[in-house]
Amino acid sequence: MKHVIVIGGGIAGMQCAAELARGGIRVTVLEKQSDTGGKLRNWHKLFPSLTPAGEVLGGLNHTLRRLPNIDVRTECEAAELSPRRVVLATGEELECDAVVVATGFTLFDARIKEEYGYGIYDNVITSADLEEMFNTGKVSTTSGAAPRRIAFLHCVGSRDEKVCQRHCSKVCCVTGVKQAMEMKELFPAADVFNFYMDIRMFGPGYEEMYREAQQRCNIHFVRGRISEVSPTIDGRLQIKAEDTLTGRPLKIGVDMLVLLIGMRANDMNAVLEQRCGLERQTSGFMRPRDQFLHNTESNVAGIFYAGAVTAPKSVGESLNEGTAAARGVIEYLAAKECTDNSTIDE
Amino acid sequence: MSFYADFCIPFIAGATVMFAAIALKYVTWLKRLPKSDLMLIAKGIPTPRTAGAVWEIFRESLLHRRIFRVNPLLGYMHMSLAFGWFLLIVVGWTETVAYLGMRWVPLQGHVFFKYFMPMNGIEGHKPFFDFVMDLLLLFVLSGVALAWFKRFRSRSMGMKRTTKHVLFDRVALTALWFVFPARLVAESITCGLYGGGSFLTGGIGAGLAAAVPPEALAMAYEPAWWFYSCALGVFFVAMPFSRYMHIFTEIPLIFLRHYSLRPEAKEKSYDNFEIQACSRCGICIDPCQLQSQLGINDVQSVYFLRDRRYAMLQQKIANNCLMCGRCEAVCPVGINLNTLRLNSRSTMRNIPNERRYNYLAGLDRSQGEGRVGYFAGCMTLLTPKTLAAMQRIFEAAREDVWWADKDGGVCCGRPLKLSGEVDSAQKMIDYNKELFRRHGITTLVTSCPICLRVFREEYGLQGVEVLHHSEYILRLMHRGRLSVKYSAATFTYHDPCELGRGSGIYDEPRAVIEAVGHLTEPAHTREDALCCGSSVANTAINDAQQLRIAEGVAQELDATDAETVVTACPLCKKAIMRGTARRVADLSEIVAENLGR
Repeated sequence: MKHVIVIGGGIAGMQCAAELARGGIRVTVLEKQSDTGGKLRNWHKLFPSLTPAGEVLGGLNHTLRRLPNIDVRTECEAAELSPRRVVLATGEELECDAVVVATGFTLFDARIKEEYGYGIYDNVITSADLEEMFNTGKVSTTSGAAPRRIAFLHCVGSRDEKVCQRHCSKVCCVTGVKQAMEMKELFPAADVFNFYMDIRMFGPGYEEMYREAQQRCNIHFVRGRISEVSPTIDGRLQIKAEDTLTGRPLKIGVDMLVLLIGMRANDMNAVLEQRCGLERQTSGFMRPRDQFLHNTESNVAGIFYAGAVTAPKSVGESLNEGTAAARGVIEYLAAKECTDNSTIDE
Repeated sequence: MSFYADFCIPFIAGATVMFAAIALKYVTWLKRLPKSDLMLIAKGIPTPRTAGAVWEIFRESLLHRRIFRVNPLLGYMHMSLAFGWFLLIVVGWTETVAYLGMRWVPLQGHVFFKYFMPMNGIEGHKPFFDFVMDLLLLFVLSGVALAWFKRFRSRSMGMKRTTKHVLFDRVALTALWFVFPARLVAESITCGLYGGGSFLTGGIGAGLAAAVPPEALAMAYEPAWWFYSCALGVFFVAMPFSRYMHIFTEIPLIFLRHYSLRPEAKEKSYDNFEIQACSRCGICIDPCQLQSQLGINDVQSVYFLRDRRYAMLQQKIANNCLMCGRCEAVCPVGINLNTLRLNSRSTMRNIPNERRYNYLAGLDRSQGEGRVGYFAGCMTLLTPKTLAAMQRIFEAAREDVWWADKDGGVCCGRPLKLSGEVDSAQKMIDYNKELFRRHGITTLVTSCPICLRVFREEYGLQGVEVLHHSEYILRLMHRGRLSVKYSAATFTYHDPCELGRGSGIYDEPRAVIEAVGHLTEPAHTREDALCCGSSVANTAINDAQQLRIAEGVAQELDATDAETVVTACPLCKKAIMRGTARRVADLSEIVAENLGR
């Protein structure tokens, strides 16, 4: 029985492992955290349908447990890899016939944008923090009050040369719209502002959601980034921005500022490049063999990619890539078996 | 004796052109000096400053002491050419006096003395002068040999890169290279024919006389002197229009500098003395990070001064400078490179917009009350950890603070000054000065070295002591108003340009860091520290280029293996953070984190 190692137990890795197991392959999933699910574990609801993240994750976990030949090893980190072997951080070596890298992304550390005051002032939170608040059901300012005015700031750690993140993280625009609507739902009396550079509604239903946010929920969209944030004496936050459509500087006090943090490439990608001969893009994400016909293959035969390890992707896209990568692995193993057999025949 | 021969014509013509051109320059520059500068000169002349200037001229124009500090071999090269040539002239003149007594001898008589006074059978031959003159010629020739050597192996003389020269410089340089070898040949042939000379010219002359038939030697005699005269003539004609103008410009410059003349925010006639005192030695090229990190090699001070001198300065050259001051620190002539570049920028860009600053009227967003004022500055407002740390420090020291711009204020004016908009900057300076005066502060603390510099240099805040937060914190510690805990934490420190080279503050931040932990120094440090690359003074390079400079700096800081990189400038902090995964903190942050009791 062929053996494939999937590195990363996030949604792409889980989907890929399930698909491989269905194809009669023994799979080992290596997960750094204590449980599978990756970033989705901390998410509340998914755009644009507001499907609970737990529903998607539950389904995936159920499949994984049901299928034979899947071994999930949690709290387990890969240090080095080649198509036939993965070395763990502990030094243990695992033999295999192919490897799928589904290590995903890292959330941008909002503290780097010090001018927004994350980690310095109360009530400056990230989009990920807000999802956790939704999950726990305790959405309020630090003092426990209901926010009367809430601001969302788009592109924190995306499209920002100053923090060396030039790429667009793709999903934050619609996340900002979704979270703004959820906040309006929770606090109907509150004013909700979204500060943006561009609003990129690329997926099905996204544009409709954006329109609904403006027309039905009365959420304000201001084109302009926030330049700085400072605390006020009465415990609120003062935001300085520019409304670039009217060309006017703008100063408002808010009770809560949500930073829509982007996706950045994992630091480990540099290790993959240096030690494993894999190629990286200038953004730091891994470079697939090509963008069209071999989107889930790496430049090394026998090493595959699935999910956000190659670029920021939505949940749906990551799941699709899990399936696509598994199909690629199965084809690769079959083709290899053919050539191996013909070599023996001679 | 008439002291005339036809071969002297190139020399006489060259010398005439040179002296006329120099005199014309001096007269024009001096005539155009502002009245205040002329007053300074008049007041300075009858003081010991004049003697000081003479002493400095001896040290720098002749001995080139400062170049010795860059590299001993390079120093020797400059000294042998300058001091050697000077001595040849002085001793040569003494020689003519010794032979002929005190009488009028035309210039060419001194210079071509060997020609006019061949030594065969002369009464009262003085071999002493032959010896000294040969020794001095050898001294100068050793410098010329080094200059040739430097063309091919500049690295071994402490210079990775040398200046790319313009045509006039090349002509003058080539002529200069030939002057002394030509003199050696002409004098040696003369000695071969007529005797005299010492170990060098005499020795070669004797060798020539033994090896070459006398007719051949006699045939070479006149052409050799012609060649020597031509080399001198060409050099003299090219000299006032080439870099060698520095020889005669540095001398009045040193006098004027001793009389306290300085370049200012706007161009003035004095600048000519500084600009033309540049010898284009190129020592400023190597320290420039635009060159070493980005490979930009046409904007350095040597090229800026050259372009400005020949009136072909372009904005893209003038604007492409970090104003880090690394070149100024090594300039052997001590030219105020940054000030000159700034006043060029001012000439090119000073276009005040009268209405843009209308909002200043009646504006006051300051908070609190106290004799101590704190000015965060725009960049500290963008790095609020520093602001929060300062607040904790003020509270710990029980200081009553007037917060000038916590809720946003008006820029200190230096960024505009750096971009050449001197008049607009003045509006902000006036506004802030009035604000400080109105709130009656006696101490002004800022955590931004950019603000610090303009407060100290341009504001003229009488009765208000301006302190950088590093100085202020150290003072609180010394006076027992602030106590900190020492731990095993390790730090390295990046000197901000505006704080170190700009304001001479090196020890205070280090003393503060050493009070909270162990300090290790990066490879380039203190006066020699690198620039973070994010200087507001450079409006020409792009973000990616700034990042590359920052990465270079961060690499050196990383190499110290300290846990935390500390700096004392919000701009440096932001820049270095982009180049390292290590923690980068402002000085105030590590103090606030380690407050005792």
